[in-house]
Amino acid sequence: MNETMTRPAAGASLIGQRIAKLDAPEKAAGKTRYVHDIELPGQLHAAILRSSRVHARIIRIDTSAARALPGVHAVLTAADVPDQRPIGVAKDHLPLKSDRVRSLRDEVAAVAADSEAIALEALRLIEVEYEDLPVVADAEAALAPGSPLVHPPIPGAAAGAPVGLAGRADNIAMRFDYGHGDLARGEAESDVVVEDCFALHYVTHCCLGVSGVIAEFDAKGNLLLYSNTQVPFLHKREFAEILGMDPARIRIIQPPIGGGFGSKLDIYPFEVICVWLARATGRPVRLVFSREEEFLASPTRQPVRLTLRSGCTKDGRLTFRAVHTLHDNGAYTSWGATTPFVMMQTFSSLYRVPHCDYHTIAVYSNNPYAGSFRGYGNLQATFAVEAHMDKLAEATGMDPLEFRLKNAQVVGEVSGQGMVFRSCGFQDCLRTAAQRSDFQSKHREYAANRNAPGRFKRGIGIASMLHVGGGAKIYPSDGCGTILKLDDFGHVTLITGASEIGQGSETVLSQLVCEELGLPMTAVTVVNNDTDITPWDVGVHASRTTFIAGNSAIGAARKARAKILAAAASRFDCAADSLALRDGHIVRAASGERLTELARFLRSLHFSDRAELVMTSFYYEPPSVHQDKNFKGDVSAAYAWAAQVIEVEVDTDTGVVRMLRVTAAHDVGRVLNRLGIEGQIEGGIVMGQGYALTENLVVEAGRIRNPSFRDYKLITAPEIPEMDVNFIESMDGEGPQGAKGVGEAPAICVAAATANAIYNATGVRITSLPFTPERVYRALHGALPALRPTPVMAQR
Amino acid sequence: MNPAVQTSEDARRFGAEQVEHVDRMNPAVQTPEDYLAATSLVEALTALRAGASVCVLAGGTDLMPQLHAGRSKPARLLLNIRRVPGLDAIGIEADSLRIGALTTIAQLLVDPLLRTQAPLLAEAADHFASDQIRNAATLGGNVCNASPAGDMLTPLLALDAQVELAFLGGDGSARTRRLALDGFFTGPGSTQRKPHELLTALLVPLAPTGQVARFFKSGSRPALDISTISIAFSARRDAGGLLHGVRLALGAVAPTPLRARRTEALLEGKALDAALAAQAAASAAEEAKPIDDVRASAWYRRELLRNMTRRMLEDVART
Amino acid sequence: MSLEPEAARPREGPAHEIRFTLNGVQRSASVGITMSALQMLRDVIGLTGTKYGCGEGECGACTIIVDGLSVNSCLLFALDCDGRELTTIEGLAGDARAKVLSQAFVEYGAVQCGFCTPGMMVQATHLLATQPHPDAAAAKRAIEGNLCRCTGYQKIAQAIVAAGQALAAGDQP
Repeated sequence: MNETMTRPAAGASLIGQRIAKLDAPEKAAGKTRYVHDIELPGQLHAAILRSSRVHARIIRIDTSAARALPGVHAVLTAADVPDQRPIGVAKDHLPLKSDRVRSLRDEVAAVAADSEAIALEALRLIEVEYEDLPVVADAEAALAPGSPLVHPPIPGAAAGAPVGLAGRADNIAMRFDYGHGDLARGEAESDVVVEDCFALHYVTHCCLGVSGVIAEFDAKGNLLLYSNTQVPFLHKREFAEILGMDPARIRIIQPPIGGGFGSKLDIYPFEVICVWLARATGRPVRLVFSREEEFLASPTRQPVRLTLRSGCTKDGRLTFRAVHTLHDNGAYTSWGATTPFVMMQTFSSLYRVPHCDYHTIAVYSNNPYAGSFRGYGNLQATFAVEAHMDKLAEATGMDPLEFRLKNAQVVGEVSGQGMVFRSCGFQDCLRTAAQRSDFQSKHREYAANRNAPGRFKRGIGIASMLHVGGGAKIYPSDGCGTILKLDDFGHVTLITGASEIGQGSETVLSQLVCEELGLPMTAVTVVNNDTDITPWDVGVHASRTTFIAGNSAIGAARKARAKILAAAASRFDCAADSLALRDGHIVRAASGERLTELARFLRSLHFSDRAELVMTSFYYEPPSVHQDKNFKGDVSAAYAWAAQVIEVEVDTDTGVVRMLRVTAAHDVGRVLNRLGIEGQIEGGIVMGQGYALTENLVVEAGRIRNPSFRDYKLITAPEIPEMDVNFIESMDGEGPQGAKGVGEAPAICVAAATANAIYNATGVRITSLPFTPERVYRALHGALPALRPTPVMAQR
Repeated sequence: MNPAVQTSEDARRFGAEQVEHVDRMNPAVQTPEDYLAATSLVEALTALRAGASVCVLAGGTDLMPQLHAGRSKPARLLLNIRRVPGLDAIGIEADSLRIGALTTIAQLLVDPLLRTQAPLLAEAADHFASDQIRNAATLGGNVCNASPAGDMLTPLLALDAQVELAFLGGDGSARTRRLALDGFFTGPGSTQRKPHELLTALLVPLAPTGQVARFFKSGSRPALDISTISIAFSARRDAGGLLHGVRLALGAVAPTPLRARRTEALLEGKALDAALAAQAAASAAEEAKPIDDVRASAWYRRELLRNMTRRMLEDVART
Repeated sequence: MSLEPEAARPREGPAHEIRFTLNGVQRSASVGITMSALQMLRDVIGLTGTKYGCGEGECGACTIIVDGLSVNSCLLFALDCDGRELTTIEGLAGDARAKVLSQAFVEYGAVQCGFCTPGMMVQATHLLATQPHPDAAAAKRAIEGNLCRCTGYQKIAQAIVAAGQALAAGDQP
């Protein structure tokens, strides 16, 4: 297999080629300046004092010694920002805590100083007196009658004030209730019913680049933020609200980031605090986390306790899924609380399910809060669903692949939640992954060997996933704007609202534009990181960027092409549709005869009576709809599937699970940049491998016990499996050149397939993660404590 | 390697309510006031003798994280011994292999003498952290750091290693004394080295004929893991297949690396077979004193120890 | 880039002067006792190519070459650089092996967010200098101390192997 980048022949299509990432040379030379590398003139360094108690009243804060330290420019506590507004999804999160702290990451004070060392020294001089409160250690405890309230009602709060200012009467942060069909009927129709509890754990993003931000007010009082945000325009609007500023006076510049994976979709206190310090000092202020702080203060993936009950007929047709989940919301609400939006997509629509009932509650506790993380609840839901697909298959005596194929949707179907599958490669994904991995015969063989003597047991498991692939209409707009400008030399400036977070969006967008305009990749410069320049985009999430920003870029490029060819048609006295743009030239479409160099033609448009520049713009809004109040609706313009077959070897003496091989088949609509998409999928698989086998943020009564790479184990190079990545090109009608989104997909079903493989190898089904050696060993020896049933709340 | 938190007291402290979080995130970086890069052994020993508290720096791979995490003992002088000549040689001295304290773990991996005389050390070095850390970390540092989980310590114990400690004599010259490594570790992070002494070499008896040795370190990751457990075995097998001089050293299952003496006695003078291997394995699991910590539970450590000791001894029996 | 006066860095102790070779050029620097080489490179000298990833030798983002060996600069005392030869990612600009390697990184898609890339490049250049023709297993083993969250390592290993092959081929007449 040719793994290196390709050099397409002149005039050949770029689609499907292996295109090198545009910023790779600079990154390989170490020249890229991340937020940590930026030093503005007069820049100060900030540091945050975080709570040393899990749950406590703040009795007294004395910052006098810190203020007196030479080199300290400002010290802030909540007393210095009396009109601060709460941030976050549920507006329950004040950036600087005033009367109480609710978790160990809580920000109590902040310092700006001449150097990081002085700032840290100043923190040590701040005295805080706490009065401990009883700790709400987990969601179940938080639901118990008489449990302390994490956000107790605040006397004197204005009516209708948000939770951050008013508190609330219970510990419930959010609830979701979903159903389609008729559960009772589903139960009645079932010949087989299985029910299990599952426990999904805390993991964290571990971006190699730690969190950081720079804030600066200019001479006119306008705010400039150098931010790692993945949602610059939402960020801008939210900052305006939080700071009480006109959004027009806020500008966000996005330096290259050292990884996102969904960690940068929310506003976090450190950013707001940095802005306040910049305002207080009149200087640019930079705040950068240490790695330990990154572990302690970053949002996590949403941990989930889940009970799933699934049914099918004896001939293997799914009948129903009933599921309830309990989410530890942590002390404050971030995007983790909204993962049920995605989870219900999987419970309701991964495979054909006539009846579905889903309830979830997110409950406050004094634990770290969860945010958005690649897959956004889908890893957790798929883990449960795909365990049951195997269980139901076994109960009905069907081969796991055949059982899945029987229930896998095909093109044209509409799911129970109202998703319309206009392009659908689901069955092809399953067949391809199974065939290439020799799944069926190995599955039989390994199952037969389960009880044979031998220390090492092999197993093979299959799992699939469904995720949005054409955006997700959860905001008022799911669109993206592009501005295109061509200069006198045939050089294109592609100005896009879509952010580059390392996933290669700038390259694939350039590729799409160059394809339309018949130009080489060297002809494009991308501007994508300045809210004063770029048009609106909702942000990098939901695997939407290639699809939405891609269509936006194509739209702008087609307008440019139309303009050029219309002018050329009149110049060359022929029909515009008889012309084409190819290899930097205007050509006759049919014969390929070159008429003129594009650059020359552009100059002639410019320096002539026409005096025209080719500048176009296009805003693409996908034709999806908002869900109704019952969460039903065709929320994405396209949907994507994947199937992964994972082969493992289990060492029964130690419990070590080695992931030998992953055979993946991804329905991507169409491969655009083959090099880029392979990289996304390989990286996602390894991220899923970490989720399945090694990563575990140990949270106990509000404390993170392993906030370092030493004890939080990321996958290292020698551990990766062999990866056989296959693409199913279902050619989506709405997708750019037929493509669909894939950013999150590869991570989503790894743990599920691994669980099925371990079962195949050993006959033991493990319903909690991660599959560390000790957990697996305990399970093999019946020493893994059973999961407590997921508490159920009465439905409203 | 970074020290493990292994004693029950440490485990309590690690998870205890009393841990001041602000200190964990922002500990006072303990700053020695003075720095000296010694260029001779006498210069180093003179500095150590001077009476003030001294922090010895060799590779720095343990010291730097400890310093920045507030976990090192406060000291007035940072004494860099990396430039002291003659401390990084590997050679034969009488009936021992002499390994200089400043020998890096990377050097242990490739030294030809070591590979023939003490292959167990080369194997342990192969499981030690990463290339970058192996290039800097020293054997002496690993020994003095005295982690209960120290990667090099169980093989050294199993090979009956001695430590050589140097100190300033009354006449101002360097003097040395030797101690068995067995007994050198007195607790997590502490050894019998006196504050004015410098570890200058490890001495390992030359491999006798018929030596069999094995090393095991647990974990799914080839290297970067701090071991959940480690096991080192060494013995001399005579022409009749009987084992003599049996040494079984266990790591990460007690406050210090541990010699499993009762298990050694069980095997001494016997020929290994499957039944004896199983018996010895059970005995080793009993002798260990593991704790629960964030890396593993005591129960699992015992299971692992038993299973892997059995496998190791079965393997020895087969060859 | 700032050479902080003594009073401004109370926690790093008095400043000491060291002399060393950095990227082929002799220079001096004023550093605190507990300052790491990483801090010196980034904060005192102003070379930002070497990255802070964890500060405790677990991630490899700070990898540099010292006296011909790759080390984590976050674990190296700045004072211990005295009299030694340091090479950072910036210093690889003229290195023939690094050139071939960076071309391979680009062509094989071994770069996504790029934050781990300088450390990977330095470590891989060091590998190719000591083991000219590594296979995939050797390449992965060499970078086991370099964490990457984006790529899954596959393409990085492929790039290293390809670079080794290209260099070996270039050696032949």
